[in-house]
Amino acid sequence: MLCGAFAALAALAGRATAQVDDHQYTSTDIQAGFRIYAAQCQLCHGANGDQVAGVNLSRQKFKRAVSDDDIKATVTKGVQSAGMPSFQFQPAQLSAIVSFIRSGFDQSGTPFKLGDAASGKRVFEGKGGCTACHRPVGEGPLNAPSLAAVGLSRQPVEIQRYIVEPSKAMLPINRPATIVLKDGRTLKGRRLNEDTFTVQLRDEAQRLHSVAKADIKSYALGKTSNMPSYAGKLSETELADLTAYLVSLKGS
Amino acid sequence: MRALLAFLAALVLAAPAAFAAEVASTRILAAAAEPQNWLTYGGNYTSQRYSGLSQITPANVKSLKSQWVLQDNVIGVWQSNPLVVDGVMYVTQRPNDVVALDAKTGKVFWVYHYTPSPDAKVCCGSNNRGVAILGNTLYMGTLDAHLVALNASTGQLLWNTKVADEKLAYSITMAPLVVKDKVVIGVGGGEFGIRGFISAYDAKTGAEAWKFYTIPGPGEAGNESWRGTDWEHGGGSAWVTGSYDPSLNLVYWGIGNPGPDWNPAQRPGDNLYSDSVIALDADSGKLKWHYQFTPNDGYDYDSVQVPVLADIAWKGRPTKVMMWANRNGNFYMLDRATGKFLLGAPFVKVNWMSGFDANGRPIQTPQPLGQPTYPGNQGGTNWFPPAFNPKTGLFYFSAWENYASIYKREAATYEPGKTFAGAFPSVLVPAPGAAVPGIGRSSLINTWTSETGSGATIAMDPQTGKRVWTFPQFDVTEAGLLTTASGLVFTGGREGYVYALDAKTGKELWKTHLGGQINMAPITYAIDGRQYVSVIAGRTLVTFALGN
Repeated sequence: MLCGAFAALAALAGRATAQVDDHQYTSTDIQAGFRIYAAQCQLCHGANGDQVAGVNLSRQKFKRAVSDDDIKATVTKGVQSAGMPSFQFQPAQLSAIVSFIRSGFDQSGTPFKLGDAASGKRVFEGKGGCTACHRPVGEGPLNAPSLAAVGLSRQPVEIQRYIVEPSKAMLPINRPATIVLKDGRTLKGRRLNEDTFTVQLRDEAQRLHSVAKADIKSYALGKTSNMPSYAGKLSETELADLTAYLVSLKGS
Repeated sequence: MRALLAFLAALVLAAPAAFAAEVASTRILAAAAEPQNWLTYGGNYTSQRYSGLSQITPANVKSLKSQWVLQDNVIGVWQSNPLVVDGVMYVTQRPNDVVALDAKTGKVFWVYHYTPSPDAKVCCGSNNRGVAILGNTLYMGTLDAHLVALNASTGQLLWNTKVADEKLAYSITMAPLVVKDKVVIGVGGGEFGIRGFISAYDAKTGAEAWKFYTIPGPGEAGNESWRGTDWEHGGGSAWVTGSYDPSLNLVYWGIGNPGPDWNPAQRPGDNLYSDSVIALDADSGKLKWHYQFTPNDGYDYDSVQVPVLADIAWKGRPTKVMMWANRNGNFYMLDRATGKFLLGAPFVKVNWMSGFDANGRPIQTPQPLGQPTYPGNQGGTNWFPPAFNPKTGLFYFSAWENYASIYKREAATYEPGKTFAGAFPSVLVPAPGAAVPGIGRSSLINTWTSETGSGATIAMDPQTGKRVWTFPQFDVTEAGLLTTASGLVFTGGREGYVYALDAKTGKELWKTHLGGQINMAPITYAIDGRQYVSVIAGRTLVTFALGN
């Protein structure tokens, strides 16, 4: 078994986007799954499940598997052509692995409940007022990201956290940037990428900029998200429904 | 007819000289005297990576221009260190190809393919860090733990020796070290419960000459640092090339983590000789001395670094020293004749220990469960080669700053060929779910930012253990260093920039962007009086020289 040695072949294989089975995944299972993953799978699949080309376990991108049973079958049989060995796990262990994957690799094992997506859509468009900033396609005002595929890019628990504690949940790369250039211009937007000498951002008018740090007078990264917190504003059911709706958004 | 004969005669005279390499072991001993070649992994046996070439200087380095490029077809991090011998470059490509090419033009002469067994197992990438050469023979270690010898002119296989059992997850990723008439190699597999060793083979026949187990068995000195049978799967891999002192006839090697990596309570004791530097007699492989950097390691602080040897004045007395920036976050100076601890000082934030006792043993201060340990699992530095410049007196290395891990402790059960490591630690992140640097960069976009760790090229004064200058980088770096007599330091990082820095001050004198991660130090060589610098970035090997 050579991790990555068959990456060229793997990249050519088709890719299936997973459906989330309508389950509740328990804290015990998620945490047990994490321990198994860390001991048996992480060396090849990586901490975020994305180290094997064409597969992103934490984002539930598989080559063939669709259902929970498919995942279990893959783990049990292995994938000879890609160098994945077969594993002999007990049924409880397989359930744990699936729970960890479905949680999006939530190591805290926060149990999450997915409510009703249709009701969640009504919260999104109505009481939540989310459409004021979050457009169906493309970024909205104040760099509110498009949520069209948020179910692929965020764990269910992360989505919940974003709704109630947006600043704490904000990933470092998404911090709002304010750059004052030596020529007097000010750029405000979301940082996209950075290296030792340059920083890339998308400003509030959706324009892309690549700036040389040598041309910068001041560069500040904010720690407060532009998104308001919904803590206390939604009921538990509304939160679960809204989360289910967002998890169901997997792009086209 | 006469004109034709004259023309043909001129062609013969103009033809390149026959390039059958003849690298006697005496040439490697005196490698510093032929800086136009790069005859062994570390440049010469001191592994200082210090070149005597001075055509490229701080004043003219800005006019470096790309001369030729070799592209690699294989997906994955390219960590190979090329050799250059009399105008021919030998470089390996994943997993076990050897390419011989004209070092002046980049044109390929031959390619040797070795297909490792499908049973081969590696933890961290199908890497190969280069070949060794003796006479007209190249030597390469393979992923399935074989040592092969090739004719350097033709690429034909001369012999193939099985070093260890790949089914038990032994592997070889390092470049071998030729010492006199032997080829010395070490094995990887510290995450799979191996019992590590260093072994030497007759360069002509491939027959085993000696073997030193890095994890001592019953009756062997150091076995008492293990409880019961824990030593049987004690790890102690060696996956980076060592150094050699001919005056003492000692080979020095850095040894990797004990097994299981992350559960020290499962193997009480110091776990010799894991995370140590060992000095072995080059003829017999017998242990002369050792120094252990991290006893009973719970942090995966492989001491698999290149030992850098120098003869300097230490506290006023000429001393044969060894310089070491260790994965555990400390810089060390040792007396390489005796192993005596001369100095130890942290070069990044360190909280797994609070200081050294009088014998140079670390006073360990394990952090409470759930709290971050500095440095994190990949270390303050790692396997990539450092450099020493005798003119500046400075020691240079690539470091990771502000990087910590949260360790978990879980029992591991040994099964042959399977992971035997314990619970994987997590990297300290500023927000849950944030991306982490990982091993090798696999994304065009740096979503982990500098908040989970940033890179730095550090110049250290070995006399004091203090930084003299720091060249900071945004992303972490595994580039390693090259330094030259004209006062330059060449390095890079994961972002794909190649830099020439002033060796005295760290000032950036030249940089270029090659757009792919640099995971091995550059080398320099010369042909027909012209100096070249070669560096591998991403999947390209780019060679520079001063522009016309």
